Amino acid sequence: MKKVFTVFIKEIIDSLRDRRTLTTSVLMPILLMPAILIGSMKFQEAQIKKSAEQPAIVAIENAQAFPTLVNFLEKQPKVTIKAIQDYAKALDSGEINIYLNPASDFEKLVKDYKPAEIRIIQKSSNLESASANTKVLAILQVFNQELAVQRLQKLGQNPEILTAVNPVSVDIATPEEKGGFFLGLLLPMFIVLFAIVGGMYIAIDVSAGEKERKTLEALILTPVSRLKIVMGKFLAVATTASTSIILSLMSLYAAFRMFPPDFGMGQVTINLTPGSIGIMLGIGVILAIMFSGLLLSVAIFAKSYKEAQNYITPFYLLAVLPVAIFAQLPSFKPGLGMFVVPGVNAVFVFKEVLIKVFNPAHILITLISLLIYSAIAIIVASKIYSKEGILFRD
Amino acid sequence: MLKVQNLTKKFNSFTAVDDVSFQANGGEIFGLLGPNGAGKTTTISVIATVLSPTSGTAEVVGFDILKNSEAVRQNLGLLTSEIGLYDRFTARENLRYFGKLYGMEGEKLEDRINRLIEILDMKMFADRRAGKFSTGMKQKVAIARSIIHDPKVIIFDEPTAGLDVLAAQTVINYMKTARAEGKLVVLSTHDMTHAQELCDRVAIMHRGKIVALDKQEVIFQKTQTQNLEEAFLKIIGEDEISAANQEREAQFLKKSDKPKRRFGL
Repeated sequence: MKKVFTVFIKEIIDSLRDRRTLTTSVLMPILLMPAILIGSMKFQEAQIKKSAEQPAIVAIENAQAFPTLVNFLEKQPKVTIKAIQDYAKALDSGEINIYLNPASDFEKLVKDYKPAEIRIIQKSSNLESASANTKVLAILQVFNQELAVQRLQKLGQNPEILTAVNPVSVDIATPEEKGGFFLGLLLPMFIVLFAIVGGMYIAIDVSAGEKERKTLEALILTPVSRLKIVMGKFLAVATTASTSIILSLMSLYAAFRMFPPDFGMGQVTINLTPGSIGIMLGIGVILAIMFSGLLLSVAIFAKSYKEAQNYITPFYLLAVLPVAIFAQLPSFKPGLGMFVVPGVNAVFVFKEVLIKVFNPAHILITLISLLIYSAIAIIVASKIYSKEGILFRD
Repeated sequence: MLKVQNLTKKFNSFTAVDDVSFQANGGEIFGLLGPNGAGKTTTISVIATVLSPTSGTAEVVGFDILKNSEAVRQNLGLLTSEIGLYDRFTARENLRYFGKLYGMEGEKLEDRINRLIEILDMKMFADRRAGKFSTGMKQKVAIARSIIHDPKVIIFDEPTAGLDVLAAQTVINYMKTARAEGKLVVLSTHDMTHAQELCDRVAIMHRGKIVALDKQEVIFQKTQTQNLEEAFLKIIGEDEISAANQEREAQFLKKSDKPKRRFGL
């Protein structure tokens, strides 16, 4: 065990002196990721606000023929009326967002208390036009209600008779739960990401790097068994990856607490319980252990750092893509079978825990399956390290 | 101290070491000579338990390479041609790491490191990181690393490669001291001058086999030569001719064995 510790300590010191490992395992999770995430969220919020405040630029065909409509629209702060020649070109170029085409007898129909059609022409492939369409629809709905109220009043009727049902939406999600939901979209994916990225460089450095530096032969000439050498290296990779996860979890949590996201859904609070943090850290660390074994097994096949990166890139994509997809599905209900898929299972448990759903079956299946995968990964890595053909491949 | 018995190592169909046997004792410098590809490095790697033999075995200080590989490595110091060091560690840290892996610690380890730094004249760069070392500096640290545990059997593969005359002399002096201390030094080299100066006995390898094994004087007598270089060239040359003849014969037999083409149904 002493020899395992000697190898472990050497690899940790070596990686701490390596700028690449420091950048990917420490600086990225602490600074870069929260900065990118909070930055992009704030940018998104600003874009949503800007789009909500920006008036829709509307052109009306033969505007002078529809004074009632034009008068109403001119009073709306979220509408700007513009005169144009060719509406299709203007929509294409973004000169206008919406083109209104009322029925030619619009004014007469309104006066005769009859339904009058207005065609709202938009270009859904243009985001500004699509967003303006929603705004104009809402404004015309108000216009419709105003006209209806006037008609009923003239007929001596109470306008309230039109309101048969008044649906009221009540959100019982607490600000904490809303916070958990938002975190669930991003945090699980980042934990899985750092379980791989955090250990990636050190895994390459202690295996393919050792071959490239030509120190591997001197190392296996020592009386330390190959299993102990692999265990020491494996512990170093797992520790670095776990540290990376812990750091990313802590810094993202702190960043979200300080700058809670605001997407117009009311108050959002980021407040995780010690239990949920504990479960996430536990699963995160086992995940890091599993990926460390796999990374070591893959990287030892390579003769050089560069070759190892070529081997690890497809492995990385294979591990991260399903995780990224499932992490972004907000309403997907996974079956029990999904909790044995490594990586994806962790994402589902994290998402549940973040909204304070503690399902013992899900947590247990995830923990046990990840532990089994980790044991297999460690055994595979030590078997590979015992093969002379792989260690001395030319 | 070192007993090699019918050692064979094959890589797929290629036989790198072919039924090699020899014995070397403490208090001698034993030369393992041969051209590139003769099988010297493979023989050394099998003795050091880095590679496993296809057949045959070897004993180092009485420990069998197959049955007791960890004890073999504990008693053997091997300097390979791969002199890589951990670049982000100083020379001293490199030595300390390997010392610990050989089971040394504390004052004993630090004393041994200081002693080797002195013997191999590494004071100037002992506490500098190895990343910027010259080949000569790296070679010295690699030598110190291979003997950090004070092994009874030392195998040096091209120990003076990359060293200047002064540094090479330091290494040569070390080998002489080790011999005087009763250790066995196996020297694998292309440098016939150094080999002639140092070796008590030599084994010449060619095409995976030992083609000559004796004291230098006996080899000079048998080959009627004056120095090791001439003897080496003569032995290798003769073996090359005999191998070429054998190959021609084998090819002829192969051709004549081919069945004649038959025509008809």
